[in-house]
Amino acid sequence: MKTFTDIYKTLRKKNRGQYALLTGCLFFSVLLISAYLSIMRSPTVLSVLPEGGDSRKQVMMIFVLTAIGCAVFSLYAASLFFRQKSKDLGIFLALGMERQTLAGHLIRELSVIALLSCSAGILLSIPLTKGIWGLFRLFLVDTEEMVLFLDPGAFTIALLFSICVTVILLHMGIRSIRRINIMEIIQERHKSEPIHDVPRSYGIIGILLVIFGAVLGYQAPVFFILGLHWYPPEILTAIFYIPVFIGLYMILLHTVINGWHKKKAVYKDIVATSQMKFQGRQTVRNLLVMSVLIAGAYFASFYTPMISVGALMSYDARPVDYAYHFRMDQQIPMEKEVRELADEYDVTITDWNSAPMIRLGVDGTQHVETETSLGTTWEPVYRELLNSELFLSESSYTALTGETLNLSSGTLAAILDSEGNAGMEFAGNAKLLTNPLSGHTLPVTAVQTVVQNALYGRYVMNDKDYLMMGENLTPEWEEMICLFNVEDCDQTYEFAKTLFYDIVDHSDSKVEVYDAWDPVRKQLSEESGAAYWADPEYLEEYGFEQISYDVRDSSNFRLFWKYMPRFRVLDKADFVKTMAVYLMVFIFVAIVCFAAVFVIAYTRSMTIAINGQQLYDDLRHLGASNDYLYQTIRSQMKRVFCTPAVIGTCIIYAFYAMIMFFNDNKLSVSELAGMAACLLLIACISALFYGVYRMTLRKVCAVLHIR
Amino acid sequence: MLEVSALQKNYQVGKNTYEVLKGISFTVNDGEFVAVMGPSGSGKTTLLNCISRYIPVDAGQIRLGSTDLASLNEKQLAKVRNQKLGFVFQDFLLLDGLTVRQNILLPAIIGETVSERVEEQADHLCSIFGIQHIMHKYPAEISGGEKQRTAVARALINHPLLILADEPTGNLDSKSSRAVIDTFEQARTSLSATIFMVTHDSFAASFCDRVIILRDGVIWKTVVKGGRKRLAFQDELLDTIREMGQ
Repeated sequence: MKTFTDIYKTLRKKNRGQYALLTGCLFFSVLLISAYLSIMRSPTVLSVLPEGGDSRKQVMMIFVLTAIGCAVFSLYAASLFFRQKSKDLGIFLALGMERQTLAGHLIRELSVIALLSCSAGILLSIPLTKGIWGLFRLFLVDTEEMVLFLDPGAFTIALLFSICVTVILLHMGIRSIRRINIMEIIQERHKSEPIHDVPRSYGIIGILLVIFGAVLGYQAPVFFILGLHWYPPEILTAIFYIPVFIGLYMILLHTVINGWHKKKAVYKDIVATSQMKFQGRQTVRNLLVMSVLIAGAYFASFYTPMISVGALMSYDARPVDYAYHFRMDQQIPMEKEVRELADEYDVTITDWNSAPMIRLGVDGTQHVETETSLGTTWEPVYRELLNSELFLSESSYTALTGETLNLSSGTLAAILDSEGNAGMEFAGNAKLLTNPLSGHTLPVTAVQTVVQNALYGRYVMNDKDYLMMGENLTPEWEEMICLFNVEDCDQTYEFAKTLFYDIVDHSDSKVEVYDAWDPVRKQLSEESGAAYWADPEYLEEYGFEQISYDVRDSSNFRLFWKYMPRFRVLDKADFVKTMAVYLMVFIFVAIVCFAAVFVIAYTRSMTIAINGQQLYDDLRHLGASNDYLYQTIRSQMKRVFCTPAVIGTCIIYAFYAMIMFFNDNKLSVSELAGMAACLLLIACISALFYGVYRMTLRKVCAVLHIR
Repeated sequence: MLEVSALQKNYQVGKNTYEVLKGISFTVNDGEFVAVMGPSGSGKTTLLNCISRYIPVDAGQIRLGSTDLASLNEKQLAKVRNQKLGFVFQDFLLLDGLTVRQNILLPAIIGETVSERVEEQADHLCSIFGIQHIMHKYPAEISGGEKQRTAVARALINHPLLILADEPTGNLDSKSSRAVIDTFEQARTSLSATIFMVTHDSFAASFCDRVIILRDGVIWKTVVKGGRKRLAFQDELLDTIREMGQ
């Protein structure tokens, strides 16, 4: 051994544990980020999650949390590495090594570590992503849409993340030997980062700040949009969530330093508490990252039970097994053809109802947007003719439902579902109706609401008004709604599917449109000389996904076709297939976040074990029993695992409940059922978390020679 | 050999400034074995760290031979530390990942002066200090006394002008302390080493030619051994310490 390179190599070999930890952590961070990005940027997923939609925003938000978590985790691993290495580096300097030469060795070494771990992370994310997605397809659901395509562009972002982490790593490396005081470098690893006094009020103040921040963050956009008529940039509204993080930090500080137990019990846990305090800053930082990741993971996890329970309950709440509607200019199968088809499939139709509807223009308030230097603002402008709605005559409504409304002329009934909803576009407060062809108008004096799960999102009007307003309307402004029940509905899937295909096959390109497509809006756009954004031609020109009969089993078609039939058996059986990509994306995101949490908790626990070896030897020499040692280490492990798990879970569960509530200022039955399903999910994941905790505790005990 | 004049060092803790060395001046002659004693907080270790320039000084001069250490840049300082100074620390500061022999050779490896002759020198130092049998062991496998003797051998490998030792017996039992002091004695007699040692231990200091007593950042007294026997010198040191306590 004659050169410094040999020395460096020997030390590397001897301290391979330190290198393995750093390399492993960097690799894992990049692997997670890259896998997440490859799913998020995958054309498969992008085609299903609409741009600007809530789902995409949620995935993006969780990605930001994961990226921050992974970055902090990588930096934690790097700081740990430099602390452990500081003695060696300090000795080299003390014995006369030039800083520049040492920096050269360090930079070369760190660059190789970063290059290898980041490249491996990016490369192995491909088989990981494909593997997990493949398992989804194998065990959960497999549709044409589920074929996973990866976008190479996604890896550019992963590469950027890697470059950022590498630059910070190199900066930390240089900083670790840059200090003038060599003794400080040598003693760096003995330096603790204790947190001394934390007022006990931090716990309560922290909780209040979290609640305040969550409400403020969620309500701030509402205030900006409704109060100031201004669409703020998302970064601005994100700032209002800052109190949540401050509160979370305070809660963690209080938990680590004071604990939630009464003061008199302080000696019972003195070793564990002191140990946690001794590395207080690192511990709290770690727990904060874990809490945030757990919250993000649960946020993603809740999507599946909330959507599934809500959807399945709504299918069961439908009063009829089969419902479909179509425009009268389409040659869609009616009662005779449907009954013939039912006979072919041995399906018995027990009752049949159908009724005509007319499409009329309605008034409303439009948000007229203006681009300003401060962003987009809007002003409410009342339009006598804004969009169209469907109208049933009172007699048709009675024929379909058996209910009598006794509507007088000039009054309407707006139909809502049993949860008080009627779809995004339906305002339910029309004051002026217009025949879109003749221009004839009818002022509305009053609107009452009725609940009907088969017909919601439509109006009912007096029979005379209906005849008067429907005069001269051509078939494209008229629709037919058909409702029927069958015997043994759950056994009629094949019939339902064939009828659905039949309806699609008989529909022409004029109705190959999204449910947001509105003929009055189109008419108004054309009159003003502008293109209509929901027109297929417009969507094609701007590269947006269109509704297409060619992919009638796709999520996009099943969820957003304007004339999509509502067949209970079909919707129920195909629910997972229809929602497959949504569900899988969120499950994937949850897996990534939980994996990150498990690895961070494991790494932190092992660090506690390694740093505590001397202490546990000393305690043994002082006569501590094996049981006592076990209690003290278990108490520390519990804090590492339980604190972020409990805090992260509680916060996100409460936040989710708040979102559900503020959606419509009430918690509906399906939302409550969904929240109950989320509790079950929490129980399952907590059990998994407990398993990881037990495994880690065993490993930690092995390191500390505790039986 | 070593000439320190008007050396000052302050520490800043928050808004408070603590004067640790208040203009200390002294010299160490070639081949001399000098100790610095004093109560905790008197500035002993700070003095050593200032001489080696491990920590920056606020004022004063430190001349090693013809070189003014206070005026050197980072690169020149590294060279002086490697070629002209040898260090022995209280907690040994050996690299755990290297064997005893590799640790001893480390300053030569850093200075890129390793040759067969230097390797023979390392083996020779091992045999002088009685650590030949543990040459291929790692620090974790040897005793505290053996670690410190390894550190002394490491300090001598580049034939430095001066060895700076910070409480070299501070972490050792009496037997190991004696072995380390013997090592210094041997280094002085066999290798003509000049040694400047910080110690709390009057026994260790009684082997020196001269003992500088520090108190509150100034030299309170200098006790010279002269032609006296070691025990008589140790008695005087103990009396001096007692006197200082009063």
